[in-house]
Amino acid sequence: MALFNQLTTALFDVLLAPLGHGRPWFDLALWPVLGGIAALLVIKAVSNQGGITRAKGLIQVHLLEVVLFRDDLRTVFPATAKALGYNLRYLAYNVVPMLVMIVPMTTILVQLVSHYAYAPLRVGDSVTMIVELDDTVGGVTPAEVTLDLPDGVVLEAPPVRTADGTIAWRLSTTKAGDHVLRVRAGASVEDKLLSVGGPARKVSVLRTKGWEALLYPSESVPVAGSPIASLSILNRRDAPLGPFPVGESGILAWFFGASLLAGFLLKDRFGVVL
Amino acid sequence: MRRVLFLAALTVGAGCSDDRVSPDQPGVFVLGVDGMDPVILRRMIAEGKTPHLAALAQTGSFEELGTSNPPQSPVAWSNFVTGMDPGGHGIYDFLHRDPKSYLPISSATAEVTDPGTFVQVGGYYLPVIAGDDILNNRTGIPWWDVLYSAGVDVEVYRIPGNYPVPSSDAKTLAGMGTVDMRGGYGVYTWYTDKAPVATAGHDLKADVQLVTVEDFDLDGIGDTVKGTLKGPPDLFHLVPGALPGESDYLTASVTVAIDADAPVALIKVGDAQAVVAEGEWTPWMPVTFDALPAGTMALGGTVRFYAKELRPGFKLYASPVNLAADAPPQAISTPDDFATELADVLEGPYYTQGMPEETNALKDGTFDDDDYLGQVGLVQEDSSAMLDVALARFARGDATFFYLSDIDLQCHMLWRHGDPKHPGEAAHPAFEASSAEKHALDIESFYRHVDGLVGRVRARLPADTLLLVMSDHGFQPYTRQVHLNTWLRNHDWLTMKDGKSTGMLALGDVDWSRTRAYALGFNAVYFNVTGREGEGIVATEELAALRTKLSAELLRFTDPKNGRKPILRVDSGRDIYHGMRVDEAPDLVVGYDHDYGHSDESTLGEVGELELEDNTSRWSGNHLMAPEVVPGVLLSSRPVRTSGNDLTDVTATLYAWYGQTLSSDLRGQPFLTP
Repeated sequence: MALFNQLTTALFDVLLAPLGHGRPWFDLALWPVLGGIAALLVIKAVSNQGGITRAKGLIQVHLLEVVLFRDDLRTVFPATAKALGYNLRYLAYNVVPMLVMIVPMTTILVQLVSHYAYAPLRVGDSVTMIVELDDTVGGVTPAEVTLDLPDGVVLEAPPVRTADGTIAWRLSTTKAGDHVLRVRAGASVEDKLLSVGGPARKVSVLRTKGWEALLYPSESVPVAGSPIASLSILNRRDAPLGPFPVGESGILAWFFGASLLAGFLLKDRFGVVL
Repeated sequence: MRRVLFLAALTVGAGCSDDRVSPDQPGVFVLGVDGMDPVILRRMIAEGKTPHLAALAQTGSFEELGTSNPPQSPVAWSNFVTGMDPGGHGIYDFLHRDPKSYLPISSATAEVTDPGTFVQVGGYYLPVIAGDDILNNRTGIPWWDVLYSAGVDVEVYRIPGNYPVPSSDAKTLAGMGTVDMRGGYGVYTWYTDKAPVATAGHDLKADVQLVTVEDFDLDGIGDTVKGTLKGPPDLFHLVPGALPGESDYLTASVTVAIDADAPVALIKVGDAQAVVAEGEWTPWMPVTFDALPAGTMALGGTVRFYAKELRPGFKLYASPVNLAADAPPQAISTPDDFATELADVLEGPYYTQGMPEETNALKDGTFDDDDYLGQVGLVQEDSSAMLDVALARFARGDATFFYLSDIDLQCHMLWRHGDPKHPGEAAHPAFEASSAEKHALDIESFYRHVDGLVGRVRARLPADTLLLVMSDHGFQPYTRQVHLNTWLRNHDWLTMKDGKSTGMLALGDVDWSRTRAYALGFNAVYFNVTGREGEGIVATEELAALRTKLSAELLRFTDPKNGRKPILRVDSGRDIYHGMRVDEAPDLVVGYDHDYGHSDESTLGEVGELELEDNTSRWSGNHLMAPEVVPGVLLSSRPVRTSGNDLTDVTATLYAWYGQTLSSDLRGQPFLTP
């Protein structure tokens, strides 16, 4: 997971934001189209195009049968069942291309989110940072976890150390910059980036050993032996994206919606039956 | 805003004029300051404490503004909204009554007769045929609809009495009367390890959760508290039409992890978390309630917590869960997305609950004055930020109304510390020596705060804008509570069933066959009329004589404590109201003198032991009196008539400002003078 994150992040750091993070429209317009084209190529290559064509045709035939003979239940019920059956067959034909596409499409989406979903916090914003200890590693109690604050970040309230191994700090930002919050847990040290003020840029909100690292690949995964399981910033600001929907869910909806639209618009040009 | 107007102008057949407002037309900005009193303001101006209001008075006008009868906020603001009196708009009191059952009912919503048809599937009641919509009970055309149709760009912020939200093309955000997630006007949650003690004769207005501080890590120090937060009624599990019981609400879990060393905690509600030190408030925390499985209907709210005490005792306050401003689960604005638009501009949630000041906790004694004022400060910040938004969006020619609650609720709650209107008067019965000195000038500080906002408004409006600062009523001390139903019983107008001397009107305690009159609501008295009331005995032809007789008796009512007459005037609803809904009016409207007011108990239909008693509640200032003892204020950037102005005249002035014809059902006249 750590290696995959490193490689994809390095690749997309080169590919994304050619016009800078302040102009997200370029990537948000381009990558769904590329995703849609890639999906068409995959479908063409790995799907049973003949089977899809036949299944679609038979679905239409049986739906027509339902419409034409709607007064004859002896015809309507079997026709409906057949239409549903061919629907299932149609979906089955799409499983293989979907499995092939799921990793690259998700990777593109995750990288778009990493680059464009969040804006840096404002100077003066209150920030809550949460560190969770890894109970599979052990050896460190919450009382042994401390936080080194860089210039530009101050403590607003004493840390809370909970019985379940969570340590929470409420901080305040006084200066712009990409601040490094250094957490010491026994002999272990882990850093968390906190982006404040300044121009639009990649903003990382979570470092974790968990599977969620696949969704938040911007910072490295804590090392396997670290007593720290995750470091997260709770306060998040959606980056303004002009006419595009904002936030993680906004980018997700846009990416899949626009990819689908691009695929449908270009399917004839690529000779693909959907 | 201009673009919206342009688009609206292109709309065919929407009832709008094709002519948008002339670019030469100056606009209007109305600041509605609930409860601002002319006597207090005049004194503060004279003492140089409100320089911006003084400047407005000096360059324009400062006059008294006649309030509604009765001077209750929903009534008064409805007069302003429609330009009519209650006979036209139908809002006579905070509370109306169901004449058949004698039950008090909210005046805000129209009666729902058809709840719809439901089918029961897997324990869920699912609607298959929609019932009646819950509609606003106010009738008449709001001024913003008239102005919008005339091409004026209108924005109305937190207008009282506009929930449920009537449809409109203008941009409006509902204010006072807007419910919280539970559907009430604000029930807070109090998590504590010791049961709070209610003050005498007072029921706590909270969802009290007795909790245990558990020691999860077994270090001998309690560290974790678990509780729940109630959201909306679980309507899909509730028998259609039934009222929710205590366990019929959707809930979210609340976990509080307390640090072992420092008085600080991590609060988790739903997926949201916040660190809060003792004595601090959390920011707004989002919380969702799933009405249907798998998140198919997630209802969004927001809540703030206040860590009153974390150790050694545990006292945690959770605000009423406000409807989420960025995605309200029911309409609180027109268009629906205006509320969301404001949340976007403000970059976060804001109070959507109609009366956000936490008066209940202060009345309950779970808050002290400092806690309360801390919470009021949050409301002020919220309101101030929204005012900045309103000002930033205001363009020449626009009409904007902005509501401020700063003064009203604080006068209700803090009057006991020192009477700002009659400084020489004896101490209020609810006077608390321990805190009075510290808080004696709190009410003045709220006037000063409003003064600062007025300064901000004056500085940012185009110079030729008509600025009106108005209040719906003034204020008076409330030192004596009148139990009017008890008085009616003692004077043979109301008879209890055999063997009973006290009870409730709607709970079978009253012998209606021997009862001629009863009180419900804050100023209303009804006769028990045959054919109208459920068990009426008074013939219609007797009404005129009984009105005269009862009015005379009420006016003779004397307070044995001081020889004063608590009731200054009694009006017949039929005589003072005009319009199509006069038939719904109370038979008599009781106008109390200053210091006097209906008790809460009598308002809800209770018949008790005493006719009169000292008001020892922290709800110590009031305005539910005769209109002439609580006039409001009118400050204008232009000269106005020097007498005889009332709330409906403000409406008429708005119409006249934009050249609109005054329809015959409007009660007011424009007050600007050349």
